[in-house]
Amino acid sequence: METITEALAGPFQYGFMVRALIVAVIVGVMCPVAGVYVVTRGLGFMSDGLAHSVLPGVVAAAILGTVSVSVFAGGIPMAIIMALFSGYLIKRAGVSEDASVGILFAAMFAIGIIMISVAVSQGISVRFSLEDLLLGNVLGVSRIEVFITLGVAGTVMLTLFGLHKELFFSNFDPIGASVVGLPTEKLEYLLLSLLAMVIVIALQAVGVILVISMLITPAAAALQITRSFTGAMVAAALIGVASGISGLYLSFHYNLPSGPVMALVAFSFFIFCIGWKQKAAGILLRQRA
Amino acid sequence: MTAATTTPPLSAEEVTVEFGGVKILDDVTFSAGPGCIMGVVGPNGAGKSTLFNVITALQPVTSGRVLIHGKTMQESRGVVAYVPQFERVNSRIPASAWDVVMQGRVRHAGWFRRPGRADRAATEEALNRVGMWDRRKALIYELSGGQRQRVFLARALAQGADILLLDEALSGVDVSSQTALMDMLLELRDDGRTIVMSSHDVNYMAHYCDECLCLNCSVCACGPPSEVLNADVMMQLYGPLGAVPIHGSGPGDENGNNN
Repeated sequence: METITEALAGPFQYGFMVRALIVAVIVGVMCPVAGVYVVTRGLGFMSDGLAHSVLPGVVAAAILGTVSVSVFAGGIPMAIIMALFSGYLIKRAGVSEDASVGILFAAMFAIGIIMISVAVSQGISVRFSLEDLLLGNVLGVSRIEVFITLGVAGTVMLTLFGLHKELFFSNFDPIGASVVGLPTEKLEYLLLSLLAMVIVIALQAVGVILVISMLITPAAAALQITRSFTGAMVAAALIGVASGISGLYLSFHYNLPSGPVMALVAFSFFIFCIGWKQKAAGILLRQRA
Repeated sequence: MTAATTTPPLSAEEVTVEFGGVKILDDVTFSAGPGCIMGVVGPNGAGKSTLFNVITALQPVTSGRVLIHGKTMQESRGVVAYVPQFERVNSRIPASAWDVVMQGRVRHAGWFRRPGRADRAATEEALNRVGMWDRRKALIYELSGGQRQRVFLARALAQGADILLLDEALSGVDVSSQTALMDMLLELRDDGRTIVMSSHDVNYMAHYCDECLCLNCSVCACGPPSEVLNADVMMQLYGPLGAVPIHGSGPGDENGNNN
C-alpha cells in the first residue's frame, strides 16, 4: 500500500512536478476540447502547420530577452497572425487550405531556423532550446508560465463555452448559420485564433512535433464512443487529462521523455476506443440478427 | 390596401451578377408573395444557386437588389431560413435531430446564452410538426434523406422564418419522401409562408408550385406553371431536347424528370 501511495504522491514532493502536473491537466483539457473542432472540421494539417509557424516569434522573443516566457510572448501573437492570415488566404484569395498551410507555415519555420543560425553566427546569445520547442519539456515549466497557461486556458475555455451554440452551428452548416445572421467568417477567424492559443499552450508539454497528438488523438478517440458534440468534448477532455497525468507518472518513474509518453498513452486510448466501438457494433449486429 | 400588405415578402429588382466580365445573372426581376411556393427551374449553370446566394446575401450583386419585406437582407436577418442539401452540411459533426432543430433558435437565445425553456418548447413543437419527435435523438447521418430534410424544415420552423429557401433540397430523397416533404411544404404555404425552391425535377415543380421562375441567366418566364412551362420556354431553358411542355404532371409520372 505504501508503495502505491509513494508511487502516486512521490513525484509531487518536487515543485517542478507539481507545475508539470498543472500544465499537463490544462493541456489535457484544452487540446482535446479544441481538438473536437479540429477533427470534425478536418483542421489537422492546419493545426500542425500553426505549431510549426510559431518558431520565428519564439526565437525573436528569446533574442529580445523574454526567454522565460518566450513561447507565449512570441508564440501566441505569431500563431494568431498566421491563423488569421491563412484564413484570409483560404477565404478571400482562393488558395486551397492545404496549399495555404504548406506555403505559409513551412516558410515561417524556415525563417525561424535561419534566425537562430544568423543569431548564433553573429554571436547573439539565444537562450532558447530548439529541442524543447520541438519535443516539449513540461518538467521545465516555470511558475510564471503556469500562471500564463492558466490565464490563456481560461480565456479559451470561456470563449468556447460561451459561444458554443454559435460555433457549433457555423461549423455544422456555415451557409445556414450565415442566413440566420451569424457572422460565420468572424467565428471562423475566432476559432482559428483560439486554436492558435491552444497550440502554443501545448508546446510546453509536448512540443511542435507532438502537439498534434494531444489535439487530435483524444478527440478522435472520444468521437468513436460518444453520440454528441458536447459528449465528445467531455470524453476527449477526460482522455486528454488521463493521458497527461499517466504520461507524467510514467515519465517520472521510468525516466522517459514526458511528451512522447503522453502521446503514446493518448494513442493507446484511441486504439481502445476503436476496439470498443467495433465490439459494440458487433454486439448490435448479433442482436439484430 | 396598406403599404405593408402590398410589399411582397421577397422581391428581386434587376439583379445582375458578373464574374470576370461573364454574367451569371442578368437583370433578374421577380417577386414572391405570401402563401406561395415558387419553383426556380433551369438547366445546370443557369444561375439558380447564385440566385439563392444573392437572396441569402452570401453573394454580392453587381447591380440591382433583393428586398425582404421591402428591406435589405442585412436588415432582415432571421426572416429567411435556408434548408440545405445534406451534402452541404458537415456530417462529421455528431449532431442529433434535436441539435439541428435547436440551431434555429440560435438568435432567439442570444449571444453567450444557453437555450431557454421557450427555445426548447419551440424545438419540440417544430419536431412534432414534421413528425420527427420520436427520432429526435438520432444523429443526422443516421436518418434517411427524407427524414433529414424534415429535420432541416423543422429548423426553419423553429427559427420562425416566414421565407424558406430550399436549394435542390429534394435531391437524394426517394419519391415517397419527396411527396411527403412537398405535402409538408404545401401546409406551410397555407400558413402564409413564402417558399422558394429549386429543383431539376420540372415535373415536381409543375405539380406543386404556385409559380415558376424559369431561369437561364436571365428570366425566361415567371408565373403559374400552367402558363409558363410551355414549349417556347422549355426550348429557351433546355434547348430542343427539353422543349416538351409539362403541365401538372407530378409524383409517379412515368416520364421522370426533365433535366
